[in-house]
Amino acid sequence: MNSEPTTLLQGTLDLLILKSLIAGEMHGLGISRRIEQITGGTFVVKPGSLFPALHRMEEEGWISSFWGESENNRRAKYYRLSKSGLKQLEVETKRWGRISWAIAQALEAS
Amino acid sequence: MPLLVKVRSFLRNSFLSRRVEVDLDQEVHSHFELLTDENIRAGMSPKEAQRAARIELGGIEQVKEQVRKERIGNWLRSVISDCRYGLQQLRKNPGFTAVTILTLALGIAVNATMFSLVSAFLLQRPPGREPERVAVVTSVSPTQGFQSDANPVSAPNYLAWREANHFFTDMAAADEYRAVSLTFQGKPEALRSAAVSPNYFSVLGVSPQLGRFFSDGEDQPGRDHVVILSHELWERHFGSGVSVIGSTIRLNRENYTVIGVMPASFRLLGFTPQLWTPLVLTPADQTAAARKDRSLFLFARLKPGITVEEARAELATLARRAEEAFPDTEKGWGAAVRTLPDFLVYAFSIRSALGIMMTTVTFVLLIACANVAGLLLARAAGRRKELALRIALGASRLRIIRQLLTENLVIALLGGGTGLLLAYWGINSARAKMTFNEGISAVPLSLDRNVLLFTLVVSLVCALLCGLVPALSASRTDINTNLKEESRAASSSRSHSRLRTVMVTGEVALALFLLIGTGLLIRGIFLMEHQNLGFQADHLLTAGVTLDSARYKDASQQALFVRDILPRLQHIPGTEAVAVTSDLPATGPGTVTLQVKGQQDLPSNQRLTALDVVVTADYFRATGIPLLRGRAFAETDNAATPRVILVNQEFVHRHLRDQEPLGKQIRLDVSGSTPQWSEIVGVVGNVKTYSEGTTDDPEAYELFLQRPVPSFSIMVRATSDPNSLASAMRNAVAQVDAELPLNRLMSMSSIIERQKGGNLLFSRILGSFALLALILAAIGIYGLVAYSVGQRTHEIGIRMALGAKSPDVLRMVLWEGMKMTAIGGAIGLAMALPLPKLFGAIFYGVQLREPRLYFIVPTAILVVAMLATYIPARHASRMDAMSALHQE
Repeated sequence: MNSEPTTLLQGTLDLLILKSLIAGEMHGLGISRRIEQITGGTFVVKPGSLFPALHRMEEEGWISSFWGESENNRRAKYYRLSKSGLKQLEVETKRWGRISWAIAQALEAS
Repeated sequence: MPLLVKVRSFLRNSFLSRRVEVDLDQEVHSHFELLTDENIRAGMSPKEAQRAARIELGGIEQVKEQVRKERIGNWLRSVISDCRYGLQQLRKNPGFTAVTILTLALGIAVNATMFSLVSAFLLQRPPGREPERVAVVTSVSPTQGFQSDANPVSAPNYLAWREANHFFTDMAAADEYRAVSLTFQGKPEALRSAAVSPNYFSVLGVSPQLGRFFSDGEDQPGRDHVVILSHELWERHFGSGVSVIGSTIRLNRENYTVIGVMPASFRLLGFTPQLWTPLVLTPADQTAAARKDRSLFLFARLKPGITVEEARAELATLARRAEEAFPDTEKGWGAAVRTLPDFLVYAFSIRSALGIMMTTVTFVLLIACANVAGLLLARAAGRRKELALRIALGASRLRIIRQLLTENLVIALLGGGTGLLLAYWGINSARAKMTFNEGISAVPLSLDRNVLLFTLVVSLVCALLCGLVPALSASRTDINTNLKEESRAASSSRSHSRLRTVMVTGEVALALFLLIGTGLLIRGIFLMEHQNLGFQADHLLTAGVTLDSARYKDASQQALFVRDILPRLQHIPGTEAVAVTSDLPATGPGTVTLQVKGQQDLPSNQRLTALDVVVTADYFRATGIPLLRGRAFAETDNAATPRVILVNQEFVHRHLRDQEPLGKQIRLDVSGSTPQWSEIVGVVGNVKTYSEGTTDDPEAYELFLQRPVPSFSIMVRATSDPNSLASAMRNAVAQVDAELPLNRLMSMSSIIERQKGGNLLFSRILGSFALLALILAAIGIYGLVAYSVGQRTHEIGIRMALGAKSPDVLRMVLWEGMKMTAIGGAIGLAMALPLPKLFGAIFYGVQLREPRLYFIVPTAILVVAMLATYIPARHASRMDAMSALHQE
């Protein structure tokens, strides 16, 4: 895999956050690490992008938040996927499929 | 429900903002702690771990700001917080706030006040259904002159055109200027009435407030004694009572039945009489002779889909047909078609005056904006550190620009609000002053919707004009240099100083242009005020009389009245001379075409013209118009003796080419009577055509007994105060005819005063605007120069440390100020060059040439600019080099 972290495509961040929350509720750092892990380190999400996205998605109603205890007894804000978030994940996944297929087609054509 | 979630978030963000903020703060902090823990677990020392966490986080405040930006309702929230912040800033600098708001308020107030005039005169839609579909047809006179294309139409043409046209659904006619006498409770009163065809109101598409309009057939003799009252007359005489319908009033000695009352909203600028009677057209109005009597304005409604241009083309054809059929009277005459709104504004001829005033106030506003922009620029420089801090804490450039613009908006709106208060006062005082003309005083001035909207737009534009440049330049701040230390650069950046130069230059140019323009106008009005009108206006009492056809059926009875009244007036103690005249001197008498015996006939559009005045024998003694040659009218001249005529010097000069006038025969084409040759027996001095103009036109004086007219003015020259003779004059007239009203019983000087009233007010308003502009420009120049000197303190300190003497510094600063003034002055002068020509076109017959002005005004500006530069320059030159260098 590429060692250089790649800048996120517009719209991909939402998809990655939703996807990572499938595994269960998580706090911000957890989400960030999970994305790093599932993309094999390609995407590193900085707090400056992560938190605005989390708050926006919460306002959209895709995720909800609550305060809880972290694994080493720190107070942390946790996020979990809501019903409409699950639906949104489907939508985004389909959309992403279309895009990547289209880009692949475009690149193969010569 | 996503929408519900969004609404809940919006409400939460808006109303629980503190809790949301605390929550965010805790979340970011906990994230930081989690990161630190993670790093410690990875084997870092606690200190190292914290540092690495901080780097990865990228700054707690920045993250928070980014989250805030994403929130729903963030836009509204930030605007509100910008406003709050702006107000806070304004409260912190009360001096700055007061000056900026007041400057803007003054600029906005004069604009709003002037715009209320524009709104009242130009933007008011005439009453009725689709007024822009109503066409007004007028005659175009072959002779050039003031509104020569808005002459009334003759009755035969009206009848012919009404029949022949294809483009109007209906055509109505109105004789707008009929003087009638209303006898109310025994007292006669002169009123302005209009005689209108029965379909007049239906063509306009209006409805009465009470009663009904004229019905078909009420324009026939015998059935025509019906009258419709204006709202104002109904209120004044009949206490707004409903019972007025069906009652009888006495008009011109005859009984008329009141059938309707118009609503107060029925106003057509100059075409708003106090009552309406039916227009009766008899067979006499259809003869060839009646073609010369042009007294009807035609109002016609366009058929659906027909444009004004099409109607115009058709009327042109019809006018040409009349020209061919009746070359004697119609040669050269055409027809003009305008929409009703256009026609009213054109006939009222106020557009150009309003145009000048609006341009002036716009310039005043521009100067005010330039001043405020200068102040903001100066302040923005002082706030550079604060802005740099905000940028460093994560505020984007756009955010900073928006914040500064919002602050300016707050200033502009406060200025606009204050301006509106000032304008309210201004409009009231304008309304109180605008009584010199019935047409004008009847127009209601108010802070209407248009004015409010205009003020709002002007305020917003001001905010943008004043604020954009300073905001852009402030947001371009370089964080590092500004945070480290207040810029130690030797002098402020190049773009900044160029901006200042442009602003000072612009202000100087605008102020110069305004001052010269206003100076020219005031000079022109002063010339008119102090010119010799050609007669002695003092000690003259005048009153208008219109002999009605009910009692004074023909010329001999009109002559009889005059012969009866003159001796009675002569016997009033304190009377020196008495005369009757068709037109008071310098009030713009009517023009007739004429022919000189022995000169060849000219084509109709090149015929000689003269102002035609009909007077009694003593007129020249009463008015003090000097007799230069020959003799005046004598008691022995009367209807039975050969016709005699007097002309003025201008007549001899222009029409007789300075040849011997006495004994020459001339013939005036007077409407309504057969032209007769008359002998010139004397030459009198010129009288100005209008007291508010400077032109001398050829004049011809006919003798009243040889050509009586039904409408005239009585003049009495008094040995003392003319107004003291007023009641005696009224009694004398009442002895002859108790039902005859006197119209405008007043002294000649007050008539002239009234005629000039508009000009006087106009010049006073413009004068105060120009003064305001000069003061604003002075403040602006002072502010900008002082600021630029302040900015250069450091540079000046270096120069002095390197050996520059204080006179050198003084010279340097003064020189730069003068350079800007000179460039601005040159631009302003160039702009002002075409002004005399422009004003000459606007003020009919006024010659404006004033070379001195082009010297005085630039000098005044230069002196003001010099002072405005000198004070900060001296301050700079007296600075101690060391303290200047240490100053930040």
